[in-house]
Amino acid sequence: MVDNRCKGCRDDYVVDSKQIERVLASPMFRSDRCVSDSEYLTRLDACMSCPKLQGGTTCLVCGCIVQITAKLKEKRCPYPGEDRWSIEAVS
Amino acid sequence: MSHVITINADVSHGTINRNIYGHFSEHLGRCIYEGIWVGEDSNIPNTEGIRNDVLEALKKLKIPVLRWPGGCFADEYHWKDGIGPRENRKRMINTHWGGVVENNHFGTHEFMRLCELLECEPYISGNVGSGTVQEMSEWVEYMTFDGVSPMAEWRKENGREKPWKLKYFGVGNENWGCGGNMRPEYYADLYRQYQTYVRNYGENKVYKIACGPNVDDYRWMETVMREAHPFMDAISLHYYTIPGEFWTGKGPATGFTEQEWFTTLKKALHMDELITRHSAIMDQYDPNKRIGLIVDEWGTWYDVEPGTNPGFLYQQNTIRDALVAGLTLNIFHEHNDRVVMANIAQIVNVLQSVILTEGEKMLLTPTYHVFNMYKVHQDAERLDAHISGSEYEMDGEKIPQVSVSASKDAEGKIHVSLCNVSHDSQADVSVALRGLGGPIFKIKAEQLAADSLDAHNTFEAPDALTPSTFSAYEVEEGVLHAKLAPMSVTVFEITAG
Ligand code: SF4
Repeated sequence: MVDNRCKGCRDDYVVDSKQIERVLASPMFRSDRCVSDSEYLTRLDACMSCPKLQGGTTCLVCGCIVQITAKLKEKRCPYPGEDRWSIEAVS
Repeated sequence: MSHVITINADVSHGTINRNIYGHFSEHLGRCIYEGIWVGEDSNIPNTEGIRNDVLEALKKLKIPVLRWPGGCFADEYHWKDGIGPRENRKRMINTHWGGVVENNHFGTHEFMRLCELLECEPYISGNVGSGTVQEMSEWVEYMTFDGVSPMAEWRKENGREKPWKLKYFGVGNENWGCGGNMRPEYYADLYRQYQTYVRNYGENKVYKIACGPNVDDYRWMETVMREAHPFMDAISLHYYTIPGEFWTGKGPATGFTEQEWFTTLKKALHMDELITRHSAIMDQYDPNKRIGLIVDEWGTWYDVEPGTNPGFLYQQNTIRDALVAGLTLNIFHEHNDRVVMANIAQIVNVLQSVILTEGEKMLLTPTYHVFNMYKVHQDAERLDAHISGSEYEMDGEKIPQVSVSASKDAEGKIHVSLCNVSHDSQADVSVALRGLGGPIFKIKAEQLAADSLDAHNTFEAPDALTPSTFSAYEVEEGVLHAKLAPMSVTVFEITAG
């Protein structure tokens, strides 16, 4: 049977807070891989005032959901020429 | 495992249309914005807003044709929103993919400029799903009319005096799905109507492309061909290689199993059956093969990279993708009597891309390297090639282990591209070269190979997987014996005479 259902407009392409919480509950977010709560909030603050943030969740530079990537120590803000997550840049 | 290949260098099966090496750029995720367009005021080095690093890398590939603006986006795109001073352009939401704000900064002028810089042909997808006949007709007039008309005047006001040359124009995209959920009878009638007003102005002759089927929708092909074949130059086909199931989990782009490796390559080979069967339907209405088949969306489709917006369709690209690319291009070559163009989806940052970017960083994917190695086949004569050899088997299923294609270019050089799809076995191949017209004079070879199933390039290690000179071969009495590494794509250049 041919499946010609529309590929693009299904709900799985909508990012909601439940999905973000589900991802954050997965084992890869062990505490040793994550930044401290205060650093997490600093990073998120920077995102919230960033022109590259879309819809409160998506970084247009890397396509990441910032609530997820800002948790991880190894991740860096990809803003061209400037890491907006570094404390100096934010202050 | 041994494989015997015979190449008859004096038997040609026609030209491999360079457009088989085409690409597709859609306003989706970070393909256009961030991937290609950063704007003139970006601190990423750019030429009139188009990032230089991507431009340079794409120029090397000798891209023949670029499709734009979609995809699903095409049938909700209103071209008049994307012209004139950028600060005045409409902002809209791309509802199909990720709810991204579309500021229309990359429109017709910017796309045409990109094609000029890449020295490639533009292929524009018109809007049938939510646009009007008038809108489509005026777009063609705006781009190609060299006289006095409201559209031509408007183009001039917007800074472009001379019309552009536009050959390839698609009348709708996926009209069986996101382009209007139409039935084929209805689309065929709309196609006949819309294409009537896609006019030829002056010397410009538009090559009209009808929306063809999704995968194995043979009824769609049959109906649209039956009802509309005299009005088209080509018809499209879309097929994505998905290791899992579209709706229930496609499978990851990295960290996959040997079984997923096998399934992916087996599904990539399905392209051959699809082209064969759709072509047989086309033959009933077009036995002389006047109408081309254009595979204007193809490539791998996996689950998005963890933590990224699912609507952006951003995935990594590994040696598995390189093999899908090599196999598929070899299949397109074999069908060069019918397949006149193909456009891999999508050029940067979306699905099986040749380039990935993150801010100012950029990397070339294994698929890029295959396109670069294979570009020698563009416009070359396809040579008669036969292969017999062992099969690659997993859990009782079998596919051929080695795929081959050969061509002769304008200078008489022969290129042979070989894919060894086995994840663990070397392939010993003997290539008998007949009809060369003289002894082999010189051989050069390049190989892209990896030692893990999901070897790939990262922004930290962008050159982890690149092609290297290949030397595991010898020539004995006109027969080339080579040992192809597991998971490898190899291209030989042979000069004779
Ligand atoms: S560029 Fe940096 S600060 Fe801006 S949204 Fe992306 S991660 Fe956040």
